[in-house]
Amino acid sequence: MELKRVVVTGLGTVNSAARSASLFHSALRAGHCGIGPVSVFDATDFRTQTGGEVQGFNARPLLPRSISTKRLSRSDAMAMVAAIEALSDAGFFPVPDHLRPDMGVVIGGGAGGMLECEAVYRDYLQGAGKRPAYSAFSSFGCSASADHIAGQLQLMGPKTTFMTACSSGATAIGYARDLVQTGAATAIICGGTEPLCRITYSAFNSLQAVDPQYCKPFDKNRQGLSLGEGAGMMILEELGHARQRGARIYGEILGYGVSCDAHHMTSPDPEGGGAVLAMARALQDAGVSPDAVDYINAHGTGTPANDKIETKAIKHLFGERAYRIPVSSSKSMTGHTLGAAGAIEGVVSLLALYHGFIPPTIHCEIPDPECDLDYVTEGARDANLKIVLSNSFAFGGNNTSLLFGKFPQQGVGHE
Amino acid sequence: MNRRVVITGVGMVTPLGVGKAPFMEQLFGGVCGISPISLFDTTGFTSKSAAEVVGFSPKDFIRPASIRRMDRLSQMIAAAARMALDDADLAIGPHNRDQVGVMLGTCFGGTDVAAQFGKVLFREGPRRVNPILVPNTVMNAPAGHVAIELGVRGVNTTVNHHEVGAETALTYAAAQIMRGRVDAVLAGGGDIVSEFFFNVMSHFKTLSPQNGGDEGLRPFDVHGNGTVVGEGAGIVCLESLEGALARGASPYCEIVGWGLSSAPTVPNGWPTEPTGPVLAIHCALAAAGITPGDIDYICASANGGPRLDRLEAEALRQVFSATEQRPRITALKGALGESLSSGGMRAAAMALSLRHQSVAPIAGLVESIAKLNFACAPETQVPIRYGLINGISSGGTFVAVIFKKLA
Repeated sequence: MELKRVVVTGLGTVNSAARSASLFHSALRAGHCGIGPVSVFDATDFRTQTGGEVQGFNARPLLPRSISTKRLSRSDAMAMVAAIEALSDAGFFPVPDHLRPDMGVVIGGGAGGMLECEAVYRDYLQGAGKRPAYSAFSSFGCSASADHIAGQLQLMGPKTTFMTACSSGATAIGYARDLVQTGAATAIICGGTEPLCRITYSAFNSLQAVDPQYCKPFDKNRQGLSLGEGAGMMILEELGHARQRGARIYGEILGYGVSCDAHHMTSPDPEGGGAVLAMARALQDAGVSPDAVDYINAHGTGTPANDKIETKAIKHLFGERAYRIPVSSSKSMTGHTLGAAGAIEGVVSLLALYHGFIPPTIHCEIPDPECDLDYVTEGARDANLKIVLSNSFAFGGNNTSLLFGKFPQQGVGHE
Repeated sequence: MNRRVVITGVGMVTPLGVGKAPFMEQLFGGVCGISPISLFDTTGFTSKSAAEVVGFSPKDFIRPASIRRMDRLSQMIAAAARMALDDADLAIGPHNRDQVGVMLGTCFGGTDVAAQFGKVLFREGPRRVNPILVPNTVMNAPAGHVAIELGVRGVNTTVNHHEVGAETALTYAAAQIMRGRVDAVLAGGGDIVSEFFFNVMSHFKTLSPQNGGDEGLRPFDVHGNGTVVGEGAGIVCLESLEGALARGASPYCEIVGWGLSSAPTVPNGWPTEPTGPVLAIHCALAAAGITPGDIDYICASANGGPRLDRLEAEALRQVFSATEQRPRITALKGALGESLSSGGMRAAAMALSLRHQSVAPIAGLVESIAKLNFACAPETQVPIRYGLINGISSGGTFVAVIFKKLA
């Protein structure tokens, strides 16, 4: 089977730090923090009250009139807004008729329609036996976003939804890349989406994994993550097709790697074994040497365990060179958007490659002896990047690493 | 790069029994696993039946310490994975643990656990919730548990797509082995019957009897009046042919091609035109390098819901009606109920059909909606060279997978 090269020709995002990919570029350069008080639900009784919320989100004015917002959950609506931005950015909106049979949708999900459904469930539990309004459940599952997008755009290519918790978005991009690489589709809308909701917020709080203020990845006094929400979408396209139509190319997807810790459901393997495997597999898949990596967009959640173990895994894989590779956490700006994180950070990686800069880690002020890499804490840097690695690690020990390359680029990948 | 992929082991926890021997005997004997619901009280519902897993004892398959950490779905899937590994006679050790993966499909996953968590959250407040429940609220929990229980660190992922999550996982797993990224994958999936989703499915009027007639799951039948919920887990052990042969395994069958497609509809809707499923089947045939006439046996998605059954019958008619020897068509949901992520059980059944050259009959079909070659009675010694699993999901997602008997 001849493998095709896969490039990214469109980007879209909605997150707490920015409402579009172009605004996200400037937010990342400025080190803008989107974390603040949560208002999408009443957080008064929770242990913490902050998060990376997309304040005042309303999909209607952000979408063209041909796209309906009927029955879209908050999660679906953010996915739709980011998908339409990415399609428009790629010059694929409206989708050309001839492309519909060969265009697919692959989404990484999380809580899906939980925000709406848990409210129905809560009212039912608190309403003395009254039957819940089950109609809210038509968009319950996280696969609803892909169905809405493909349905409204009349696409007929492959459609799938991954749910590997905090690595869903990255896994979706990796899988979509395989589909385009092997010719199962010419173009794919892929990414991830995640809403803030009470059950997720409560779950992370009960695990005492949330920083009550804002997350401080790699800082000595970090206390946990900040939950966030949003969507990140990109258009993957077969290189020949993109070239033929003269599309702008943000970068190439060179490879990805997936592994499992097989250690514990919620705590990472203290040796970082699964993380090393995922990164090594991404490099192997791409045929790229560890020496070629210019920047690592870390999983960097801000939990004491993750940041220490991720640092250890990077050192294990890159050896002495680890100290010379800039590593930063965009979650310090967006919060941890769970199912969307891998995709939003994919968008970060491609913006960094295309525009030639390294986004910073904000809120990291006090050095931790166990986190002693270059975390880009002084602010964004200009840099001519060629190869970027992006990590996503998750509950269940599900790890995915993506490898992005500048395009065009000499001497990289299988030719 | 283009390695061949075979099934070397099967494992299942189903309404027709736990493990290969009882599953085979009942499935190929035409037994129906549907009975009155025992898991919860159905007072106030018109629907009263389900295909529930019976006689499942997790401790026969899973370490006691692990059982306590798993929800019911994870237990079923982990047990099925253990059985598949044992059936394949594949030992896991330091030499291969990084080269064995887990790929699952589930529709509801741990949503039942999330509801349990939410009950305390909404009744007693966020400071009273139980953190022990949290790991099992995520849909990828079963895959994580399987990896921990078996100690495997290869590719590990979970697909969520209504009725075709497990079929998609199967194709993704096969692709990973073909490309040499992993040597073996435990692939499949499962879902459980829960009161919560019984409520939801009742609300959306997907359950029999939709029309006031008799309750029952009647695939492809003119009297089909809705589906009946089912549950269970099925896992197949996939390996590269070379790897399987090198260690002296005797594979059940080979996976030779698949097709993925979609068609526009709303998340719980069914398309009215068969274009999507027809496209998926044609993609699968092309990938396998065969024509419709080569397919001998089809395991259909039909679940007794009139819209799905008519859509599928029309798709199969369009692709296969012109073939000289029309393929025998079965629909296992008649016996297993609609368990959503049924692809693992269906793949295991297909592997058994190819090895034993046997056809599983459609339980519940009396008067068919189309002139197709439906399997109405148990049959053995049927020449089956190529088998097709047709996956159709509400929301308009389609997966067709082709299996081949090994010469």
